[in-house]
Order: sequence, then structure tokens, then C-alpha cells
Amino acid sequence: MYSERLQILISKEQRRRLEAEAQRRNASVASVIRDAVDAELGEVAREQRLQAVSAIAAMKAGPHLEPDELRRLIDEAHSAEIDRGLGEPGRP
Amino acid sequence: MTFFVDANVILYSAFEGPGRRGCLRTLEAVASGEAQGRTSPAVLEEVWHVALRHDPEALGGLARAALEIFSPLLPVTEAAFVHALSIDRDGLGANDRLHVGTCASHDIDVVLTADRAFDGIDGIERVDPLDGEAVEGLLARS
Repeated sequence: MYSERLQILISKEQRRRLEAEAQRRNASVASVIRDAVDAELGEVAREQRLQAVSAIAAMKAGPHLEPDELRRLIDEAHSAEIDRGLGEPGRP
Repeated sequence: MTFFVDANVILYSAFEGPGRRGCLRTLEAVASGEAQGRTSPAVLEEVWHVALRHDPEALGGLARAALEIFSPLLPVTEAAFVHALSIDRDGLGANDRLHVGTCASHDIDVVLTADRAFDGIDGIERVDPLDGEAVEGLLARS
């Protein structure tokens, strides 16, 4: 799974923090670094991202709403959820 | 240059209409790594709300697809919330203020949104996703 070798320079302090975190997690320094890369850059591969765009392109919602109408739709959707959370009048 | 992507860009990407082309072009540029567009869980929550309420059949999976495109999301931090609370502006909702706060806490000063409520906010440049030339200009700068 891991096929790429990367050699980098880090400071003594960074190394100390990496080793402390690895010890805390009972994991290797390498796995802490890999997790940090995923957290910073995301775990989703480029192909999967492009497939997600294709999936959206295949959706056929409509018709087109003007920005003000879309804003109102977002606000209404929010309000409805909040009303449900608070308990609408007449509902237990 | 990194820019913030608002909910209407993601929604217009799924709606048939004049804004769709530019919005899909933006998502594709972000997905391919050509452009540095970022968004937050607060934005995807809005997308999800609309998908569930407006047209769950057509928009099923939209929030998840957007998450895959924009992962990792920008965290909405306490600093972002504090900044949002400091904004005093009529017509700008709480969530929109939170978006501005999220931008401020990540040094982002460009917001891609069709919502004119973002016009004239200190430190924020709004780019209209329904303006094809403006979108191409933004992607060229990113």
C-alpha cells in the first residue's frame, strides 16, 4: 500500500513532538505523519473527487432559482429544522 | 490564492439552469487540484438542508459528493464564531456571518457566492458564480 519513500528534514522540537504523539497513541512516528498528511490534505483521491463532480453533473434538480429565492429556500429549510427541534405548536 | 465556496455554488451545480456551467466548472477545478476552493461543514449543512427539504430524490447524495470534492473541510473554530459575532450588518444571516468568520480565521478574502449580502463586507471580495467571465478570472487567479 505504501510505495513512496519521502526523506525530509525537521527540527529537533518537531521530532520530539512527533515521538511524544506516537508514544501517546502507541503508534509509529510514520503513522502519525501519514495521519497528519491526510488531515491536512484530505484522504480523498483525485479520481474519487472527479467522480463526485460527475455525480453532481448527472443530477437534474430544478428549475433554476434566482439567488434570493435560493437564499429563502436555505433559510426556510433551516427554520423548519429549528421549529421541529423546538416542537411546533400542537405537537407533543 | 484560496477562495471560499458558498452553498449556492454547490446547489447551482445540481440545478438545471444558467448558473450550472460555471458552478460545475468550479467544482471540477477544485476536484482536479487546479483551483484552491475550500468550504466548511456549515456550508455543507445548508446544502444538505436544501437537498432534504426541496428535492430529496434529485439531490440525494449532493452533500456527500460535495464533501468528497472539498475534503478536508475548513474547521469552524471558536475564533471564527467570535469574528462572526463582531459583524454588525443588516441582511447578513448568522450562518453567513459564520462563513465570513471562517474566512477571516483562515486568511481567505474571496468568497464565491451568488448572495449579494456578501457585497461590501470589510476584507471580503465577492465573486459571482453566475458570471462566467468572473468565474474564469477567479480560477485563473487561484
